[in-house]
Order: sequence, then structure tokens, then C-alpha cells
Amino acid sequence: MWKAYISGYIKNNRSAGLSVGLSAFISALLLSLLCGLFYNAWKYEVERIVLEEGGWQSRLIGTFAPEDIEMVSHFAHVKDIVIKDLDGKVTQKEAGAHILDIYFDAYAAVFSDTPRMADLTGTAPQDIVYNYELLSMYFIRDANDTAPRLVFPLFILITVLAAFSLIVIIQNAFAVSMNARIHQFGIFASIGATPKQIRICLLQEAAALCAVPVIAGTLFGIVGSMVIVQLTNRLSDGIDGRHQSAFGYHPLVLILTLFVILMTIFISAFMPARKLSRLTPLEAIKNAGELQLMRKKNSPILTLLFGVEGELAGNALKAQKKALRTASFSLILSCLAFTLMQCFFTLSGISTRETYFQRYQDAWDIMVTVKDTEGDTFQGTNAVQNLAGVKSAVVYQKAKAKRIVTEDEISEAMKSFGGFSHASSEFVSKTDAGYLVNAPLIILDDNSFVAYCEQIGITPQLDGAVIRNQICDVTNPDFRHPVYMPYIKIPPSGKEAVSVLRQAENPARTAEIPVLSYTREVPVLREEYASYDPYELVHFIPVSLWKEIKEPMGGLENNLYIRILAEQPVTLEKLQNLQEEIKALMAPDYTVTCENRIQEYETNDKQLKGMLAIFSGFCVLLALIGMGSIFSNTLGFVRQRKREFARYMSVGLTPAKIRKMFCIEALVITGRPILITLPLSILSVWYMLKISYVNLEEFLKEAPYIPVALFMLMIISFVALAYYMAWHNIRKISLAELLKDDTML
Amino acid sequence: MEILRCEGIKKVYGSGNNQVTALHGIDLSIHKGEFVAVIGASGSGKSTLLHILGSVDKPTAGKVIIDGTDLSKLNQTQAAVFRRRKVGLVYQFYNLIPTLTVEKNILMPLALDKKKPNREYFDNVVNSLGIRDKLDALPSQLSGGQQQRVAIARSLIYRPALLLADEPTGNLDQKNSREIMDLLKLSNRNLEQTILLITHDEKAALEAERIITMEDGRILNDERRR
Repeated sequence: MWKAYISGYIKNNRSAGLSVGLSAFISALLLSLLCGLFYNAWKYEVERIVLEEGGWQSRLIGTFAPEDIEMVSHFAHVKDIVIKDLDGKVTQKEAGAHILDIYFDAYAAVFSDTPRMADLTGTAPQDIVYNYELLSMYFIRDANDTAPRLVFPLFILITVLAAFSLIVIIQNAFAVSMNARIHQFGIFASIGATPKQIRICLLQEAAALCAVPVIAGTLFGIVGSMVIVQLTNRLSDGIDGRHQSAFGYHPLVLILTLFVILMTIFISAFMPARKLSRLTPLEAIKNAGELQLMRKKNSPILTLLFGVEGELAGNALKAQKKALRTASFSLILSCLAFTLMQCFFTLSGISTRETYFQRYQDAWDIMVTVKDTEGDTFQGTNAVQNLAGVKSAVVYQKAKAKRIVTEDEISEAMKSFGGFSHASSEFVSKTDAGYLVNAPLIILDDNSFVAYCEQIGITPQLDGAVIRNQICDVTNPDFRHPVYMPYIKIPPSGKEAVSVLRQAENPARTAEIPVLSYTREVPVLREEYASYDPYELVHFIPVSLWKEIKEPMGGLENNLYIRILAEQPVTLEKLQNLQEEIKALMAPDYTVTCENRIQEYETNDKQLKGMLAIFSGFCVLLALIGMGSIFSNTLGFVRQRKREFARYMSVGLTPAKIRKMFCIEALVITGRPILITLPLSILSVWYMLKISYVNLEEFLKEAPYIPVALFMLMIISFVALAYYMAWHNIRKISLAELLKDDTML
Repeated sequence: MEILRCEGIKKVYGSGNNQVTALHGIDLSIHKGEFVAVIGASGSGKSTLLHILGSVDKPTAGKVIIDGTDLSKLNQTQAAVFRRRKVGLVYQFYNLIPTLTVEKNILMPLALDKKKPNREYFDNVVNSLGIRDKLDALPSQLSGGQQQRVAIARSLIYRPALLLADEPTGNLDQKNSREIMDLLKLSNRNLEQTILLITHDEKAALEAERIITMEDGRILNDERRR
């Protein structure tokens, strides 16, 4: 009987079923996408840990006899052991000092079995090492591991939040479909249906409506997560520290995904079903599902603009307020999120381009990082500088140092904004002799240093430093338009200028070097100076001088850099070929990584577009929920609206005026998100422009008018379609029938 | 045999200054096979009384016992099962399920109990009510009179202890009203069905063997005609 009722309802109310199905589809899609992505993020983390730390679960370090090793390998739950020497190289099973990497087949036994192995092999407790990071990925934690392992809690929290948000959003679709039949359930109750029977009927109906959408949404979600994982892999290809991880999907993830989806949909359907089943038959049977106002309401603006139809439409919307809550919320949120996100990405793009790509456009084409190499022993300088296609190559390295700036040395301009009075103790310390400031050393290869001397118009010498004599007004917060001024007073000509450098770790250790020049002009490098510490006094020195002072100074960074400018015209293909040549040149002796400007720009652009596409997708899904809800409202309340309009017609409202009412309703529903979005977006953009110091004109030139307009147009079109379809169903009104018949649906 | 007994039923709606007393201590007893009509002006409390007797509403005070069951002690589920098995309700506006066929509407109370119908009794009911040829139709395909016959058939299908009819002819023309009243009388006579009819229509009330007149929530007159 219930089956007949459910199938009859579904068959006769396809539109209401469509909205429930759409909600279930979107929920399944989002949750499946989320679970698929989380599983792959988890998989990536496990692979990363295995690559970086190894896949062992526990490790014993000590001196082991062959029989001890044999015993460990035959321990219950031990799948495998790998024997290594103390340098980490795999070795044979022989007596001596070893590291035993132990692989378990039951991870839960790691913390109980490893101490027993240690006990039996005579290994001290401090020589037991656990791969806590890896174990935590399998939910295996130990009290001794105090690090916050947040991957799982974060995944669970986000999934719960997503499920909760979806429950709030989609339960309305179920509520609309169910509440439209309160009267019918009142009849059921009056002839003896128990609340439980009504509830089960509603839940069975929800199950019938949601089965196909859930399966489809789950599958689309899996495909979506696969696309995103592959897109991420493509975008992150070549990024240092990232490995390529193939998309994976475990049957358990599918089970978990289906469980989360079914629970979300069950709760969403159960809440309105329970509420409805708890109504007394009298309450239910008296309820004709009419859209009614509880209190007198006014719609002065709509009345003013559209007359009596405006007032009626306003009241109808207010009567539907509860039913339209999800739709309004979803549409406003999606419209606002989409617009703000588009504006943010546009601004971010402008900012990155201006502060990075345009700024360093002519500063580099290829950057080579030579790992763990000291500049004074590097042998590849000439080879790189003489490569065909290389216009200029600077080999440089950075070292930390400090020096004292006395009160007398401070320039008048710097004194005008307070000298060191604004400096944080993190950067500047006051000593008896003056102010101890950071003096980073940029050590250039000799050829490049000579070229730099020529560039600034001084006689090239390899025994002194050129000091960047520039500081910005730290009291001016506009970082995009800084005001620069001299840092140090230039000593009178004839007086020998020297700079006493101090070791960063131990300022008592010093090295005095001649100063060749104070200048604001810096060598062409992809470096930013004084951005973190505005008081740093940068020294450019040749590598020959470094050889002499490196003993007292120290503080050299591990990596060496080669900045390359290629011959014009510069193309991506040309840079890639040059990169390959450099790698081949360095490969026998050095470990190098290369990046090129055009590739980086394109990757950055792709990343931005990829993120924009993902966020836009979420906004569109959110809007779909809102639009689905509009469809369910307009098509689900046909009977009530017909009765409402019949009453209006009975007092003389023409069909044309009723159509006008419908248009006004659609206009308000689409207008509200737009009217809320526009001022809020203007305010947000104004604030973002203010804090990023991007010019309004620049933003307006690239503002996302088209995507925002298309998004709004999409909302308008769908709402208009929903109302058109509803009008199509409602327009044929038989006044006599409607005003007396209460069985019609 | 007493099938219904009410003792001091009181029903108060609202609270504080908005309190309205719909029934002021009604005492009533109905025996098996009686056909009782309750008449009274609008607001006299007759519909409230019917709702309480049908267990779709609860009295504020007092006791209602139908076929040995004290309605005031039933929870929501027990009340539903009681309605299904012991009471048949017929409304002015039929209250049929629009998406179910006539046959399924009639069999709904049995279906709720997962019971198979007694085909002989079912045939007897639908033949008596003249709806045999409408069993596959939907309610919207029937006239008002036909819909009310279906509603009566549904209320009789479980052979309830008491049939409560709330203005069953209120929405029908004279011919159909006459036919419905005849059917109610027929079921009272042939099936020994106890009927409580609520009506405005004095002519319809005259068909009953006992007429109770209500006013302002009180029984003004209880007249046994035959």
C-alpha cells in the first residue's frame, strides 16, 4: 500500500522529486569528492613520509648478533626487516652495529612488540625509534609522541562540517516535499496510521528518490577527485619537495563515503519526517498547506514600484520565507563567494605580477640552485658564463654577518624618520659602540663583481665591498610605493672607508674590509633586499675577498645560486633547452635544481586558474542547491499557489496581473543576492585594495566583470526558468474547482 | 451493550485571557447499533466532541471509553491504532488520498495493519455503496457524492465499533445527500453499525433514532425518537 502511495506520489510530482534528487546528487557529489580528495591527500602524505623517512614502523639501533637479527625477523607480526649500517646503507646479516628497520604486518602491535624485541636483543630503550608520523597516519598513537598530528582530525572535522552544512541546506528540499502533503498525512493519521508508519513511509520515499542520485553523485565525485588529483600533479610537476602521486581509491573509502552520504541524507530526511509524523491528526488535517502570514507584513518598496501586485508578491514571498530560506541562503552565499573570490584572485594576480614577475622580469631568466656547494670552490662559473645563449650569468652565494652603525654614520634623511628608534630588537641591538645591524653578504663571482663595479662607475677592485646605501621610510605603510633614502653618511672623499664585519653568531669575531662604494644601485639579481629586515645593510663582495675573510666570518648558506639572463629573444623552449644544457654541464659534480621565469609565470597562472576553477565549481554547486530549492518551491507548491491565485482571481485579479506577480517574485529572488553581493563586494574590494596598495584603475581594468555577470545571469536564468515552469503549471486555473476541491494535487 | 461512554468531558482552548471553553463537562452514553445525530449551531462544540470521540484530539478533563478502551490513556501510536480498528471517520470534504485508487483508499486501514481484506465483506460494502465500477479510478475522477461513498466504504472496512460522520452531506447536492443518508441508515440496519452523525441539517438528523442538541458546549437536549 505504501509502495503504491509512494510510487503514485513520485509519478505525479516529478518536480518535487527532482529537487530532492538534485539535493541528494549534490550532497553525494560533494561528500564523495571530499572523501576522494582526503583519501588521496592521506595517500600522498603516507608516500611522502615513506620517501623522506622510510616505510618502517619501528627501528632498533645497536650491536646485534646474527641470531638476534634472525629472532627479530621471526617475531610475530613482523613482515620484514631491513638491516642497515650506521650510515643508513643496507648491509648483510652479520654481527656488528646495525640499524634494524622493522616492518610489521599488524601496525597495532608496534608499540607492544618493539620493546619486547629490544629487551630480547639487549637494545637500550633510548635506541628504539618509532616512525610516529607514519603510524599516526594509521591512527596508531603513543603517549610518548607529543607532536600534534592534525591530518586525521582535520579531515574528520572538515567532513563533519561539510555534512552538517549539507544537512542544513538539503533538509529543506525534503521538508518542502513533505510539508506540501501535511493534509494527506493528516488523512492517513485519521484512519489510523501511526507516527512511526508515517515516518517510515516518508523515509522510504526519500530512499526511492535518492537512490539513483546518490549513486550518480558518488561516481561523479570519484571522477572529480581523480581530475583534481591529476590537475594538482600536473600543476605541481617540478616543484621542489613534491612527488608525483597517482590517483588511488580504496574500497573502504567507498564504504565510508557511502556511509557519510547516507547518514547525511538520512538525517536530512528524518528531521522533517519526524516533525511531520509528530503532528496530531487534527493539526495535520486542518493544514491545507496554505502559505500564510502569521503577522501583518508590509512590502512598501514593492508596493511603491509595482502597485498592488507588488504588495501581493511581497506578502507571498514573506509567506514562503521559511521554505525559501535555503534558496536565499545558498544563492546569496554562492553569489557573494563567487564574486569575492573572482575579485580576490584578480587582485592577487595583479599583485603577484607587479611585485614579482614584472619586478624581476629583466632580473633573471633561469635560476640554478647548486646544492651544498661553496662559491670559492665552485668550478662551473666560466663554463656557465661561456655557454651559447647565455647573455649574462652571475654566480653568487649569501652569508650572514653583522656590523655596527654608529650614531654619526646615520644619514640625516634616516634620522628624519627617527633613525633606529622604530627598529625591533629582532633586527637591531643597541651596543655601546652603536647599533648592531644585520649586514648580509652577497658574494659574487669575480667577473660579475667587476662588471658590477663598472655598472656603478667605480674602478673595479677585488679587495673591497660595495654597500647598498638605501633604507626605506619604515613609518610609511605603503609597501607598494616606498620612500627610499640614504642609510649611511658617505665619508668625505680622501678618508679611507672601511666596514668592520662581525660574525652573526659571535659578533666579537670581526673582519675589516675596505668599502669601494656606497650606492643605491644593486647588481641585477633575483633578490629582494631589506624586505624582512628594513635595517639590513647589504654588502656585495667578490668571491676573492670572501676567501680571505671566510675564516673569521662563517655564516655561509649551503646553496649557491646562478642567475642567468638568456640572449634575446627569450622563449620558453629556448630557456628549457638552456636549462637542460646547464643540468648536463653540472650533473657530474653537483646537484642542481633549475627554474625558469616563463615556466614559473605559466605555472603560477595555471595554479591560479586551477584554484579559481575549483572554488568556482564549489560556488556553482552551492548555487545549484539554491536553484534546486527554488525549483522545489515553485513546482512543489502548485496546489497552494493555485488556490492562492484562485482567491485573487475571484476578487477580480486578471491572469496578466498574476503573471506580473510571478515576475516580481522571480525578480526579488534573483535581485536579492545581487543587491547584497554588489555593495559587500565593493566594500571588500575597497578594503583589499587598501591593504594591498593596488591602484583602483589597475583593478578596474582587469576586474572580473564577465565571469561575475555570467554567474549572475546563470542564477537569473534558472530562477526565471523555475518560475516559467511553475507558471506553465498554474496558469490554467478553474476557479470553481479550486475554491471548493481539496483533494486535487 | 454500551459502546461509548463519556464522563464529564471538558475541552479548553488557549490560555489566560484567550481561553475558550468548547465543551463544559459532557456526559454521554451510546449503545451498540444506535444511530445518533448531534445537532447544534456553529460553535456549539459538536465538532470538538467528534474529534475527541475519534481520538484525533484529547479532552482537557473527563473520560471517554469506547468499546472498553479509555481514550485518555492512549499515547499517539496507541490512539492511531485505536482509530484504525475501532473508529471510522467520515468528513465533509471526503479526505481521500488523491494519488491512490478508490480500492486502495478503501483498503488503507487494513493495509496499515498489514491485513488482507475479507473479499466477501469488501464486495458487500462496495456493492452496497454502488462504487464497484469505480475501484480503479482516482478520487479526482469521481463526483462529490462518489467520493463520499468511498470515504464511507473506507470507514466501514475495518468494521469499526463506532462510525463518526462529520457533516457528511454538507458538500453534496440534495440527491447525493439523500443517497448518503440512506447508505448510512443501511449500514446501521444491516451491519448493526453504531453511528454518530454530526450535522447542521435537521432533515438529515431526523433520519437518526436519537438526536442530541448541543449549545455552547453543553448538551441541551437528548431525544430518543424511536
